[in-house]
Amino acid sequence: MKRITKAFFAFLIALLPVLAMAQIDGEFVKPRTGKFLLQNATVVTITKGTLNNASVLIENGKIAQVGTNISADGAEVIDCTGMFIYPGMIDSGTRLGLVEVSSVAETTDYSEVGNVSPNMQALTAVNPNSEEIPVTRVSGVTTALTVPSGGLFPGTAALINLVGYTPDQMYAGFKAVVMNFPSSARRGRFDRRSDDDIKKDSEKALKEANELWEKATSYHSLKSAGAELQYYPEMDQLAKVISGELPMMIEVNAAADIQNALEWIEGKDAKFIFSGVAEGWRVADEIAEAGIPVLAGPVQELPTRDSDRYDAAYTNPGKMAKAGVKVAIRTDEEENVRNLPFHAAFAAAYGMGKEEAWKAVTINPAEIFGLSDMYGSVEAGKIANLIVATEDPFETRAQIMHVFINGYRIPLSNRHIRLYQEFLDRSPGLESN
Amino acid sequence: MKKFNYFLAVLLGLSITYASAQTKKGSVLIKNATVITVTNGTLENSDVLVQDGIIKQVGQNISAPSGIETIDATGKYLMPGIIDAHSHVALDVVNEATSPIVAEVRMRDVVNPFEVGIYRALAGGVTISHAMHGSANVVGGQNVTLKHRWGSEDPADIIMQDAPRTIKFALGENPTRVHGRGRGIQPRTRMGVEAILRNGFNEALQYKKAWEDYNSASSEKGNTMVAPEYDERLQTLVDILDGKIIIHCHSYRADEIYMLINVARDFGITKLVFQHTNEGFKVAPEIAEYTMGASVFADWWAYKFEVYYSTAFNAAILQKNGAITSINSDSAELIRHLYHEAAKTQRYGGLTDDEALAMITMNPAKQLGISDKVGSIEVGKQGDLVIFEGHPLSVYAIPQKTFVDGVKYFDIETDEDDQRLRVSPTEMVEPIYMTQEDHRCMQGVELNFSDISQTLFNTNY
Amino acid sequence: MKKTLLKASVLGLLVFGWISENSLLAQSDPTGKKPITSTYAITNATVFSEPGKSGMKATVLIKDGVIQGVGSNLSLPIETKVIPGDSLFVYPGFIDGGSDAGITAPKDPERPKDFVSSNPPDEIAGITPWRSAVDQYSGDDNKVEDFRKAGFTVAQILPDGGMIAGKAAIVVFGSEYSNNVLKTNTALVSSFRGSRGMYPGTAVGVMAKFRDIYQNTKLTQQRGEKYQTVSGVSRPEMTPTYTAMMDVINGQVPVMYTAPSELEVRRAISLQKELGFKLILKGLDDYATVIDVIKEANVPVLISLEIPDDKAIKAQKEDVSEDVKQQYARVKEAYDNSIKQAAMLEAAGIPFAFTTSGTKAGDVMKSLKTMIENGLSEQAALAALTTNAASILGMSRVAGTIEKGKMANLVISTDLLFAEDSQIKHVVVDGYIFDYEIKPKKKASEEGDGTPAKVDGSWDYVTESPAGSSGGVFQISKDGSDYKGTITLDDPSGSGKINSDLKEVTVNGKSMSFSFDIAAGGMNITINVSGEVEGESYDGTMSVDQFGSFPFSATLNPTLIANK
Repeated sequence: MKRITKAFFAFLIALLPVLAMAQIDGEFVKPRTGKFLLQNATVVTITKGTLNNASVLIENGKIAQVGTNISADGAEVIDCTGMFIYPGMIDSGTRLGLVEVSSVAETTDYSEVGNVSPNMQALTAVNPNSEEIPVTRVSGVTTALTVPSGGLFPGTAALINLVGYTPDQMYAGFKAVVMNFPSSARRGRFDRRSDDDIKKDSEKALKEANELWEKATSYHSLKSAGAELQYYPEMDQLAKVISGELPMMIEVNAAADIQNALEWIEGKDAKFIFSGVAEGWRVADEIAEAGIPVLAGPVQELPTRDSDRYDAAYTNPGKMAKAGVKVAIRTDEEENVRNLPFHAAFAAAYGMGKEEAWKAVTINPAEIFGLSDMYGSVEAGKIANLIVATEDPFETRAQIMHVFINGYRIPLSNRHIRLYQEFLDRSPGLESN
Repeated sequence: MKKFNYFLAVLLGLSITYASAQTKKGSVLIKNATVITVTNGTLENSDVLVQDGIIKQVGQNISAPSGIETIDATGKYLMPGIIDAHSHVALDVVNEATSPIVAEVRMRDVVNPFEVGIYRALAGGVTISHAMHGSANVVGGQNVTLKHRWGSEDPADIIMQDAPRTIKFALGENPTRVHGRGRGIQPRTRMGVEAILRNGFNEALQYKKAWEDYNSASSEKGNTMVAPEYDERLQTLVDILDGKIIIHCHSYRADEIYMLINVARDFGITKLVFQHTNEGFKVAPEIAEYTMGASVFADWWAYKFEVYYSTAFNAAILQKNGAITSINSDSAELIRHLYHEAAKTQRYGGLTDDEALAMITMNPAKQLGISDKVGSIEVGKQGDLVIFEGHPLSVYAIPQKTFVDGVKYFDIETDEDDQRLRVSPTEMVEPIYMTQEDHRCMQGVELNFSDISQTLFNTNY
Repeated sequence: MKKTLLKASVLGLLVFGWISENSLLAQSDPTGKKPITSTYAITNATVFSEPGKSGMKATVLIKDGVIQGVGSNLSLPIETKVIPGDSLFVYPGFIDGGSDAGITAPKDPERPKDFVSSNPPDEIAGITPWRSAVDQYSGDDNKVEDFRKAGFTVAQILPDGGMIAGKAAIVVFGSEYSNNVLKTNTALVSSFRGSRGMYPGTAVGVMAKFRDIYQNTKLTQQRGEKYQTVSGVSRPEMTPTYTAMMDVINGQVPVMYTAPSELEVRRAISLQKELGFKLILKGLDDYATVIDVIKEANVPVLISLEIPDDKAIKAQKEDVSEDVKQQYARVKEAYDNSIKQAAMLEAAGIPFAFTTSGTKAGDVMKSLKTMIENGLSEQAALAALTTNAASILGMSRVAGTIEKGKMANLVISTDLLFAEDSQIKHVVVDGYIFDYEIKPKKKASEEGDGTPAKVDGSWDYVTESPAGSSGGVFQISKDGSDYKGTITLDDPSGSGKINSDLKEVTVNGKSMSFSFDIAAGGMNITINVSGEVEGESYDGTMSVDQFGSFPFSATLNPTLIANK
């Protein structure tokens, strides 16, 4: 019986290509690489000013040349007359690839059991085939930091490019161990702990963090001295922060917590980045003085306090930037990462200015992640993450005409677009209802 | 001492007359603005005069009658107050989640005029919101349409008293989860949802007949009829059948939308608006033909399974199929930038400025049954207006001043930061909320301790 | 232990009153407690016979529970026991407009097998208008003693329960030998509180349900009338709810709505306007902004005899930033306004009384003095405690003032009532005289001695969340020097109850904390509970990982301990 079944399936499989050819209509457009010349556009380089009637040559996945009179030899020429070329946008905090449908637990992979799990690798759980990735990248967001959450040390975040069939193909070269700094804020409107309880809870958590840091330091020094220690993956990962191999990304939001966090990192010989920083504007000078870069956002968000001015979250990135803090902007989203340009635009409108806001989604995160030689601007030698748009891509009505990631020309299609194509003019329409 | 009391009493006496006075109506002349009327095109360099809360003149070179404040809006845009057809702002209770039908509950009973969300909405140019019951029930409670008269103490003063009655319905995951899976009663499936609706309307018809029979018999001498049981739940369903109430139905999937259209057609109901309607684009011709349209998110999707097959082009497809389409918030955050949400119909579907702006003004006004009063800048309509710096559909636009009935309730220049109307006398430190509790369809429901698994699933909309 | 001793000493100090019937029937009293006479005179005291009248030197003569006379030239019958009042001040006995002293909540009824949460039986849904506070009242409760000691002689007692808890009654805080009930069926006690996990679950459902009950009671009455007069009419169904609501719809019994906030005051008034019942507002905490509304509606009010605690105000620091200062100023302003509210009611000419529901007897004087310091006249404060309360309770004929023919209810103090060091020396209730020890100035408050509270036993707990409340039982037992226990709770993944072991039960002085795990949605959630034990009650907070914190309270169930 078994053998027969097997044979039968083998027969079916043999038939498959034939059947498929008969049933498949049309062709699937895949991302493709090659030599492309984006001709005659306004190039907003971010770092080197704006070039009019300029072109960008893409070759071997990189930006080969930026300028005028670039030879089209062997390149696929894309006429960009009247259009604008920008670097691809980087979202400095998302759960992209880790979540498919947020209410369906089986499709969410960003929060592992345990309070201390720095060894959990976000990159491992990134689903390269998530529907959310093509939905996101056609908006011009080409790169995203995908971040685990929950607990004191939830795991290790990873920067991904939004193209590729394996996590490694997507990996963009930056990881950071995430820490949720013990919060003295309420978790939401229904958190009714007393002020004392909140204080106690956060002190307890901070004590734990200190003990863990101490432990990881010992672990690291023993290990570097050549000691053969028992397998301890959590400490192993934390030790990488102490050794300087990985930075630590501290999620911290309330003003008092930011101050505590600044105090906590003082004297610790490691690289720190703050994320969230919702009340950064209250203590912007202190953050600037400490020289800690921030991944701020979401910007389209409510104020943290009822008494705050309504635009507190809109103005936060601008206020921090003015104080001298290096600011990158994040959405803290999954399926809505495509709104990154709008978060940045709100920051721009509410005090940050367009230029600074553009930096906050391009060169600033690239610098914070130590990848400014690869990302964040339209410059020869950098990885070809580029967008071509009808106008400033922050503008809501702007149409993104071309997207290149890692030198791949990205098809401008996704579920949303396919559904539009199918249903705009449905057939049959109202007939036989 | 006595004298002191007397004076205080006099003062209080004055405040009594003030409190029982009608809601505030203002007069203002806004000059030299780019006036986006929504219904009659855009007028450059034009003026709008509001007197006693009503738009009296729209045109050029209007001079201010004496005593009326003039605001120079040169270089700025003036548009009608934004209307949010789906909100849970200013409600002390959102969900009476305990029964599949709770048509008898009235959100107007629990309006809270002190919620700072009202002011924050004004700061986003929103002058009217449709404060809805939640989506835990197949037939939820009766909603209330609010005018954002910030600073009012009497809930009645922020209720738009001349708006028609509306009621919340909900299909799909929320009611089936709360009742079927949560409590083991119908509905657990979309089949059950239809059955609850049809059963409810049929019972309502019987209820109506029972009262008609009783009323006609009670005049006859020697009759032995006694009054039937009073049931406001069924009476409200009767009112729906009689066309006195507009249904606003939380819905996502095309099949359930189509189901409700069929139920409505079977019972002769025409006052029907779909809310959320993420798969509305799949049945756009039906929605256009048989209903008052759909009120949708600009781009939300994938937060739960029934919105996984969504498209941000939904509003554009609905619009182009002739359905009345509005963009709503269902969120304390989104309500602050509906002008931006509306602009997304230009990115996703290339709608014109007027089409996009109608989605947050005239179209929601139609769906709430108030388009004769608000929703556009026309003489005779209520003076709900917003002045913008920058075109309202630009991502860089910033609302400057917001007027309701000609009274200015938001001014970016002069308003204090701290807008709280009430402060607790026992507050040690002001609470800081990191994950803001949005106003949501499932507000309250998911925090029920016995429903904690639902909290985990984080299904809020 | 300490408490019991204290109580005994107070009891020992009582001069025992007398019972008229008993004194006639029972001639001997081997306990030696029987009073020798029922006639007393407080002689030559400073008497404030009613609010607004100045004190005059006079003698108050009482006999058989009734004031026989007030004056300077009274002839005292031979059997009079004289209490020299030369240095004393006599006031009318206080009347509490709404009290939960002596009230014990009835047990929750068993849920029927066919229970449906969307349509529960009235009794389970908190709709019990037929219940009477009298059935839940015990006069020998400590709390009754405490309030009597604070000067209260008469109280309207309120039944415990849900949206319609039942009928209030008026009792005297008199002798232990009498049932002390003056009047039953005095008000229908209602609130906007929903039921746990069933219809109506929230304020909005409660309001709808109240309308439904009200209208159907009216229809039931109509049907009943027709049934009486026309033959051939089907028998009307008289449910306990409708039967008990009849005197409410007929205007004989007012509805007493608990309305602490201004919005609840408005909600109660709007329901009243819609349905037409007689309304009393009770338990008002925040009402400064609705004073005009109350006045216009002409509704009697029982304000909360409690002022907001000043911890927050006192914790405000000097060296803070400008914006924190502004926040402080707003809290201070809110506090200052809050304690002025009673004065504002007076200024608006609204006669009000107090409810002590939720207030500790020991805080009564402090609250009154704070109100007086903030503009309330002493006269109005006294009126709220006496004449206004009598009028709202419909008993002005028998109580509220010191007049010939009224009930012998008196408060006798060592100084002017509201003077700083004034103490209550005697409280006369219904002719019985209760004596209290006059203490020298109190020492600083005693601190807890750190010995662990007694926590082992079975606790009934309730948690409140925005969607309603949930509850069950947890058991704690000693395990060597540690504690262990289990808790039952509503199954998060459906219906029914589940058990979970308690972990890390720690008891430190009065504080007790523990945690437990539940599985929900494929995840394990740890729930932490911490709080304070006070005698047999536990007041705490339950925090649920990332989901928030909720109030958690419990009471130790004495019977189950005894069964062990």
